[in-house]
Amino acid sequence: MDEIETTSEYALQSDTNDNLTQTWQRLAPIAMCYFFVKLFYIFFSNLFFLIPAVIFGYKHIINNPWIWLPALLGVVIVIGLIVFLNFYFFQYRLANEHIEIRSGVFSKKHINLPFTRIQNVKLVQPIYYRPFGYTCLELDTAGSAQQEAKIVALKLSFAEALKKEILTTHDQNDIKPAEINVEQSNQQAVENDTQDETILNTRSLKDLIIHGITNNRVWIFLGGLAPFLDDMGRYVNNFFQSLGINIEQLLTFADKSWWQISLWALTLTLLILLPIVLFSIIGSIITFYNYTLSKIGDRYIRRSGLLTKHEVTMKLPRLQMVYKQQDWLDILLNRINLTLEQNNVVGQNFQPGGLNNKIMVPSITADECQALINNVFPDNTMESLIYTRISKRFLLRNIVYILTPLFIGLSVLAVTTGKFTLLSYLVPAYLILSGLVFCRWYRWGYARDKHFIYVRKGVLGVDYCCFPIYKVQQTKFIQSVFMKRHQLCSLSIVLASGAVNIPYINEQKGYDMTNELLYQVEESRRSWM
Amino acid sequence: MSFENNEISIQSLPQIEQLQVTAISNKHRMANFGINILLTLLAIVIASFIHFQSLFHISPNAVKMVPIICGILAVIFLGKTIFGFFADKQKFYALRNQDLSYLSGLIFKKTVTQPILRIQHIELKRGPIERKLGLAKVQVFSAGGATHTFEIPGLEVDTAESIRQFILDHKDVAHHG
Repeated sequence: MDEIETTSEYALQSDTNDNLTQTWQRLAPIAMCYFFVKLFYIFFSNLFFLIPAVIFGYKHIINNPWIWLPALLGVVIVIGLIVFLNFYFFQYRLANEHIEIRSGVFSKKHINLPFTRIQNVKLVQPIYYRPFGYTCLELDTAGSAQQEAKIVALKLSFAEALKKEILTTHDQNDIKPAEINVEQSNQQAVENDTQDETILNTRSLKDLIIHGITNNRVWIFLGGLAPFLDDMGRYVNNFFQSLGINIEQLLTFADKSWWQISLWALTLTLLILLPIVLFSIIGSIITFYNYTLSKIGDRYIRRSGLLTKHEVTMKLPRLQMVYKQQDWLDILLNRINLTLEQNNVVGQNFQPGGLNNKIMVPSITADECQALINNVFPDNTMESLIYTRISKRFLLRNIVYILTPLFIGLSVLAVTTGKFTLLSYLVPAYLILSGLVFCRWYRWGYARDKHFIYVRKGVLGVDYCCFPIYKVQQTKFIQSVFMKRHQLCSLSIVLASGAVNIPYINEQKGYDMTNELLYQVEESRRSWM
Repeated sequence: MSFENNEISIQSLPQIEQLQVTAISNKHRMANFGINILLTLLAIVIASFIHFQSLFHISPNAVKMVPIICGILAVIFLGKTIFGFFADKQKFYALRNQDLSYLSGLIFKKTVTQPILRIQHIELKRGPIERKLGLAKVQVFSAGGATHTFEIPGLEVDTAESIRQFILDHKDVAHHG
């Protein structure tokens, strides 16, 4: 314990990497909390398999009440032992710009990670660490998700110092004289030490409530609640029955008039919607509580979280695309979700990290959104753009050639088999789907200026994405025989964060765009990250 | 932005619609054709064997179902044979100074272009049949991810290797790869 304390202070004072400790050391004992919680998670995610044991055990306990205490004691001891062993065998050391982690009780793991390979540093601070000022340091390695390194409990100040150390090392090793922009980022890295952190955006509780309403964040709960859903249903039923309301009786419609039924339907919908919205709001608050987006040099940092504080860092050169997202509710409330997307590719050896690398700014206003976009892409002209809509043949293809024959076929089938009620589903389904296709066509458009390509799309909501042309990885020009006849084509532009599709545009424009894209990529020779 | 070059009009850029394309090896097409025919025949043979044989006892359900499944498979393989026969004719590649292109598709024509600058690594793949015929498949990986792997099948080994060497020697790959 003392050792660690001295180390952290030592590192803080130090300017060079050599001063970081070179001996193996253990974590602070608070790490045992982490291992305990982790064990708990594992236990609950495997609850399903334990059910037989629990049932069996329950009978036993009922039959032999005296076994209760020793059994509980045994469980506590076993848990304690596992936690302690996990803690005992977790060791790390820092030497020569390498981080080494040894962990595992039975299956030993040894990770040796050069600082230069670390792509991303995340600080995650669970609630039980906060009073003591500890944090988890997660290192996104250049490898796959399984190779992710995590130092479970470090003093916050030490972790911050270490993070700075790693990121600076990384910048310095990035220098390749042939590349102009890498030199730029190096200059910025040098500036980092002198520059202060500027806060770009914060989210108030009100914003988070709006975000909860407009965006479904229920899944955060559903994952955790899955084992209890059945029980909850039973409790709800019991609760209503205790109030003298029999749900099952309510749900039999035979003896009710239409207004009663529709009233009930409305009430029921509201009853279901209300808790969903409530949970969604709570979920939004848990994820984004105390949200700040700040910037140091060329580094954007997202911090948020009620129970577990997350910190995601992204360097500006890593940014591939900004994504402006508005659902229909967002449009009504005039809010936007802005996502800054890094490379998104999982499962490749040279890719940094998983999906949570995105930086999402929830429910901001249009002005704030534009300010942020201008901050990351200063040359963009997103505000004054006129989007070119894709060809009307998109409607023709989807409605006339796909939906209509399908509809006619099914209708004929329904009529010939005498199932006329089926028609009452088919007609609205056909109309709704056609309407959605129309909305999709209406939204889908593209625009470009000297440095960026912009794509607008959506169905009920509307999304905009914007990416710098020089970040393109690959282009695809797609044209069917029928599209050729009408001088149309589709483009698929591959970025490190995923592909962007622009269907049914003018053939010549498609060619021009592809040619210019390739030209900009190949001529500028700028690195995509 | 470090690079600007505004004087150039779009018409004077290298045109992807005027690529000098080379067809992939005809051996690849023939091999595919042969394999597909074999698979079709195999499905038919299994179907008729199960249907007509009386050497040993098979449950009547299987006697009914297996030929149907095999029949469907045979139709699928036959379609693949015919489609592949024409589609493989439409596979071309093109190599420019700065990028690779692969053109394919019978009905949906697709031109995928991969700037060499963005290539992360490159693989030559050769299955047993390809080894026998002296063919190879070039796979090029960019940061776009596994779903967007750029791939040229059915190249002569020498061609594939010289493409690989061309990419490896390309000065941009050394810096960015």
